[in-house]
Amino acid sequence: MSFAEIECYRNLKSYYRIAGEGSFMVRATLSGVLLLLALISPCAPAASAPLRLGYSDWPGWIAWQVAIDKGWLAQAGLDVKFEWFDYSASMDAFSAGKIDGDCVTNGDALVLGAGGTRNIMIMLTDYSNGNDMIVARPGIKTLNDLKGRKIGIEIGLVEHLLLLDGLKRVGLSPNDVTLVNSKTNETPQILASGQVDAIGAWQPNSGLAMKAVPGARPVYTSAQAPGLIYDVLIVSPATLAQHRAEFSKLIQVWEHVVNYINDPKTRDDAVQIMAARVGLAPAQYQSLLAGTHLINIAEAKKVFGRGPGLKSLYGSSQNADDFNVHNAVYKQPQKIDSYIDPALTAAQP
Amino acid sequence: MRRSPWLRILRPLTPRARIACGVLAFVLPLALWSLVSYVPAIWHPQVRITDPGSVSYLDTGAYLPRAAFDTEVADARHEQRAAPKGVSANPIYLPSPGQVLQAFYRAFTTRPETKDGPWLYQSLWHSIQIIFWGYMISSLLGVPLGILCGAYAAMARLNEPFLEFFRYLPAPAFGALAVAILGIYDGPKIAIIVIGTFFQQVLIIANTTRKLDPALLEAALTLGTRSRQLLTRVVIPGILPDLYRDQRILLGWAWTYLIVAELIGTTSGITWFITQQARYQHFANVYAAIAMIGILGLGTDLLLARLGRSLFPWDRALVKSA
Repeated sequence: MSFAEIECYRNLKSYYRIAGEGSFMVRATLSGVLLLLALISPCAPAASAPLRLGYSDWPGWIAWQVAIDKGWLAQAGLDVKFEWFDYSASMDAFSAGKIDGDCVTNGDALVLGAGGTRNIMIMLTDYSNGNDMIVARPGIKTLNDLKGRKIGIEIGLVEHLLLLDGLKRVGLSPNDVTLVNSKTNETPQILASGQVDAIGAWQPNSGLAMKAVPGARPVYTSAQAPGLIYDVLIVSPATLAQHRAEFSKLIQVWEHVVNYINDPKTRDDAVQIMAARVGLAPAQYQSLLAGTHLINIAEAKKVFGRGPGLKSLYGSSQNADDFNVHNAVYKQPQKIDSYIDPALTAAQP
Repeated sequence: MRRSPWLRILRPLTPRARIACGVLAFVLPLALWSLVSYVPAIWHPQVRITDPGSVSYLDTGAYLPRAAFDTEVADARHEQRAAPKGVSANPIYLPSPGQVLQAFYRAFTTRPETKDGPWLYQSLWHSIQIIFWGYMISSLLGVPLGILCGAYAAMARLNEPFLEFFRYLPAPAFGALAVAILGIYDGPKIAIIVIGTFFQQVLIIANTTRKLDPALLEAALTLGTRSRQLLTRVVIPGILPDLYRDQRILLGWAWTYLIVAELIGTTSGITWFITQQARYQHFANVYAAIAMIGILGLGTDLLLARLGRSLFPWDRALVKSA
């Protein structure tokens, strides 16, 4: 760990000594001001810094841990450092320009952009294939049964999108259910309280909700709507312009990771590495991984193709944009094309 | 009439009674916790499944309310299916003292699972450094400013209205701003602790300074002390024991900001351990980590109190409170 500020203060102290025998007041104020300066000024030079990418607790992104622990990034000649964050903290850091790239959902990439953080989705990591769920209490077996009931959900986030998609499919309107705005990581307790009939959450919260209320079952999951939520790596346009070659190599490292995880011979080793990152037993982690579909280059090429449906990143992002505008997450519809750069993936062999 | 020695207002206890009370302060809550954990008749409202039997939705290790479990068992018997088996248990968020003790021990003896991941004691040490620097920077600015505000009415009027306003702003709200200015590593975390501590610190120390016995000032002036000397030779030495006690309280204050501070930027320190374990409901580990912070905090405070007694042997309040 580095305390650049303190290093900086040490240098400034010599100045303070030259300032000499001031009165107590002057000296106290001086040292105070110097420390404040030391704290605020970026003393350490940013010379040849590695590319810093944020990742957080989602199976599709923890997969990067395999490449990190195996040393594949360095092997590929990449100077890339992955920084572990809480998901929303990673987006804060990306907005502030403190990291070069971040792993987010395509919907959140649009939210960041609408808030003024220009970003481009340059590669796909995965789509949710069952990890996002609408979980109903025992006795409710289908989405149709939720008509006229209360659902605990974090309004404006991906589970809300999932629910609306599901309701549309079974021919219900959003007005047929009552939404109770709930924090996603509190949904297990909310379902257990019996005050709602269902909740919407992603893993591990959705799994914990089923554990907290035995007999509770998912009535709709992202496995029934693959492509509704894509997970991507976003970077700023300036970073992309300077580091195209590196990101191209990074996509190849990802290919290696996906193969390593999907190959039955090496899968156990991969799961071990990923489970260790979040402090879970490998067996527990298997089920989380099963709900995530990792995307390799061949598949990414198809998803990066234009199309109106959820099979295309363009269609999926358009869907997310409509949802965001409709729910007043932001006001101005976003230009989807400006958010997607398929060229890096398309150029892969 | 002889009063009980335990219930005399504003009287010190005998040394033996002091020790007894101090030990009981910890033993009583622990005993209560053990009782609730180890005597099933007291609470244990749930059943932990050891064998799901023929009930499709149960897994080994799942928790079920007792009433629901009883219904399942009755149904299974009635239909001549295999009944589920289980043992009485408290809810998952209340582990027993034994489980927490084990978790405490395991946390220090288990290798970090990720390659070059930090050991728990390394995480803890990182957190201590964050606290140390946050508290140091805050004190280097706050103590002199507090004394000046206490000593000079003009300084007080110039600073205190703004500080009074600022101290109500919640420090964690500055998280995103701190990241934008100071980066993603330790800078913003230290800044949050400084913001959380500094404003209270100035006001508390200014107040302490004002409480200096005016007789001391009058005596010094009578003896011909000049204005600057009055500050360095009378005011500061005069308030030193109280200042020391304030600083001890403020150190505790700094600790309370640790968890929010460490969630800002890259996740690090003891907070990483606590939030990750809580997310997957490993509550024994969470309690163990909370206990570690408590032990560290109390340990430092006891040490500082002892140091205070040898530094300021003339201060009676310090001796009494310690």
